[in-house]
Amino acid sequence: MGIRGATIFIMLSRVADSLYWMSRYMERTDGILRMLKINYASSQDDVQAFSWKPVLKIFTFLEEERANAMAHDTRGVLQYMVIGKDNPNSVLNMVTHARENGRSVQDHITKEMWQCLNDFYHTVRQEELANWLQKDDPITILDMLIKHGVLYFGTTDITMARGEGNSFINMGKYLERAVQSADILDVKFSDVNYDMDVTTDTTYWKYLLLSISGYELYLKTYRGGFEAINVVGQVVLNDQFPRSVLYSINRLHRYFERLKSERNVADFNQIDFMIGKIKSKVKYSTPDSIIEEGLHEFLTETKNELFAIGKTLSKNYFAYT
Amino acid sequence: MQTSELLQSYLVDANTWDEMYSDASVREQYKKAIEFMQQLSVDELNKKEELAKRLFMSQGITFTVYSSGEGIEKIFPFDIIPRIITAAEWDFIEKGIKQRLKALNLFLKDIYSSQFIIKDGVMPADMIYSCPHYLREMHNFPVPYDIYIHISGIDLIRNNDGSFYILEDNLRTPSGVSYMLENREITKRIFPDLLPQNNVRSVTEYPTILHRNLVSLSPRQNKNPTIVLLTPGIYNSAYFEHTTLARLMGVELVEGSDLVVDNHKVYMKTTSGLQQVDVIYRRVDDDFLDPLVFDANSRLGVAGIMSAYRKGNVAIVNAVGNGVADDKAIYTFVPAMIRYYLNEEPILKNVPTYQLGKDEEREHVFKNITEMVIKKTNESGGYGMLMGSAATEEEITKYKAEVLLDPRQFIAQPIISLSSAPCYMDGKLQPRRIDLRPYALCGPGGIEIVPGGLTRVALKEGSLIVNSSQGGGSKDTWVLAH
Repeated sequence: MGIRGATIFIMLSRVADSLYWMSRYMERTDGILRMLKINYASSQDDVQAFSWKPVLKIFTFLEEERANAMAHDTRGVLQYMVIGKDNPNSVLNMVTHARENGRSVQDHITKEMWQCLNDFYHTVRQEELANWLQKDDPITILDMLIKHGVLYFGTTDITMARGEGNSFINMGKYLERAVQSADILDVKFSDVNYDMDVTTDTTYWKYLLLSISGYELYLKTYRGGFEAINVVGQVVLNDQFPRSVLYSINRLHRYFERLKSERNVADFNQIDFMIGKIKSKVKYSTPDSIIEEGLHEFLTETKNELFAIGKTLSKNYFAYT
Repeated sequence: MQTSELLQSYLVDANTWDEMYSDASVREQYKKAIEFMQQLSVDELNKKEELAKRLFMSQGITFTVYSSGEGIEKIFPFDIIPRIITAAEWDFIEKGIKQRLKALNLFLKDIYSSQFIIKDGVMPADMIYSCPHYLREMHNFPVPYDIYIHISGIDLIRNNDGSFYILEDNLRTPSGVSYMLENREITKRIFPDLLPQNNVRSVTEYPTILHRNLVSLSPRQNKNPTIVLLTPGIYNSAYFEHTTLARLMGVELVEGSDLVVDNHKVYMKTTSGLQQVDVIYRRVDDDFLDPLVFDANSRLGVAGIMSAYRKGNVAIVNAVGNGVADDKAIYTFVPAMIRYYLNEEPILKNVPTYQLGKDEEREHVFKNITEMVIKKTNESGGYGMLMGSAATEEEITKYKAEVLLDPRQFIAQPIISLSSAPCYMDGKLQPRRIDLRPYALCGPGGIEIVPGGLTRVALKEGSLIVNSSQGGGSKDTWVLAH
């Protein structure tokens, strides 16, 4: 197939599944690494107040007790989040999953992408990493790991053919990103009991925005200093901000629409409806209407819709067993 | 430090053919390459060795060893010094393999239909019927173009007089061809310009030829038939090879669970429904291919695939049932087959082989056991064999007892001294024993052999076992142009 002439490209369900998950794991890895980096930087700013608890709450399944014990142990958190074998969301485990998924579909991703995944894998597995995380500058190490991810994203962008495979990769990426941004916002606000007025502490919002690369954009958009409601506006609704919930859902929809074909019409329509529904809901919200509905309720509903979309994708497109 | 001493400690074993050295001088075909190596310092050579390892690792040309729940990536050891075959040697090998394959293919067709070879008394019927790889399911089924052996990897060794011998015929799912391709890619990286300077023939045509052959087998006359490569999955040690071949040919890599049979047709499950499959290049053994016909516990195959095959709705490569032709006991009869089917004298020799099922031959073998290697007829990969020269008294006694339980399952061969070739080890060249596996492709247009192959090397000093499972490595294999 595909050696000469135009062929209708048909993709195995298993392959689509693997590409989608490879991509989700890589996106999550990137998100977690950036978040670790900024939270570490924040921990150096105010030693007294800083707690890793929100991070552990969003990104791990630790029991309350263990999370409390770890909340002020920066190096311990870094070890656990980067190379913790018993942490399903550690960078080590996620990169391993991404690579395993990539390995089983090597003939559907480019050789360059495979090498990025493979090099990343060998990097997170080297034994010295534990030592570096304990003793060296964490920013240097996190930056090095982030670069591996960025190399993968860039390589994917410039080498991956624009076919069905690319759509599944991007759907995985943006679905994961939308969930992650909603999560980060939810936990950061739960930390202050969803009180929109109380926290005027600049550093708190600054680090939240930095962790999702939205700080500069915020400064340009809102010149009057930090306000919780503006943070909600940017992270949920700004369609120019590549990590906003709305931007991610728009992208998810765009890549999904490319799967439209004469086959599978009913399956396609079902998911198209689901994405369209949540997209409209987010798009036609305002910061005020979200707060009125309740930020937590709004984010929870959005996440649940996204999870339902993931489940239906799996049923309609990935079922092969 | 200059490596003029690169060759100083190169001591060829007595009574052994060395590929590089002859009467203490370097053979013509090795001169340029060795001169080139001698200009490099030990540091530079070590760096090249390091680079080769890194390239294998980074490209994931690895196999995974699972221990205590964790996968550890290993690379097959690669020796940086190429093995060099002259144009004349290659012509001879090529002719010999083509002749042998032609006879073996005729044998398969015959044995699964009229069985003239038995009726004419050339081969005893019990040889065939006692072979576990002889499959009644293949009887009277005309495979497309009468081709059974689409892909083979016949192993050759070189005795002390330099003549080539056939060690075994791999006609089922021979592996290693990705190493022929990748080893060459590595050489290009670590020794820039060396290949064109030496006039080395290219091996890159392999996937193109294979793909063309697969297309030609499609039962549906369709310009773009659906071709798949069926792999046992990512835990298989040859998985890297499966992905490489699928990628190089642009065909779909599938697992058993991706396929389904409906109304004697094979389909793959895609994101937009079922898509009919025309040709399957399977890397799954016969036993596991179809749980309805063979091993019922197999989850690697596809239920109903044999019925689709027999109906002619899908082509399977290699054909099912080839194991009867590369069985180690049948091996003895290949020279007779060549005479019988082709009326020609065999070009490539067989290693003398004793059937332990025959009393007098078994007695002879047991008497001279220290000069023999005994193998199981249906095992490969160097498993289950006894190297008489290296075994202890106790091992021999135990092995003999095992043989006596079912002597038909064993053959013995005099230990043939494999030829040696230079390997880069500890900053010097040292001779190590090697074999050669060229890959032959057979399509409706005939047999083609890409000039090259896999040279396996026994990395342990004095060892004669080249199998990767037993501490062997590999080398890039050069065939020089005329």
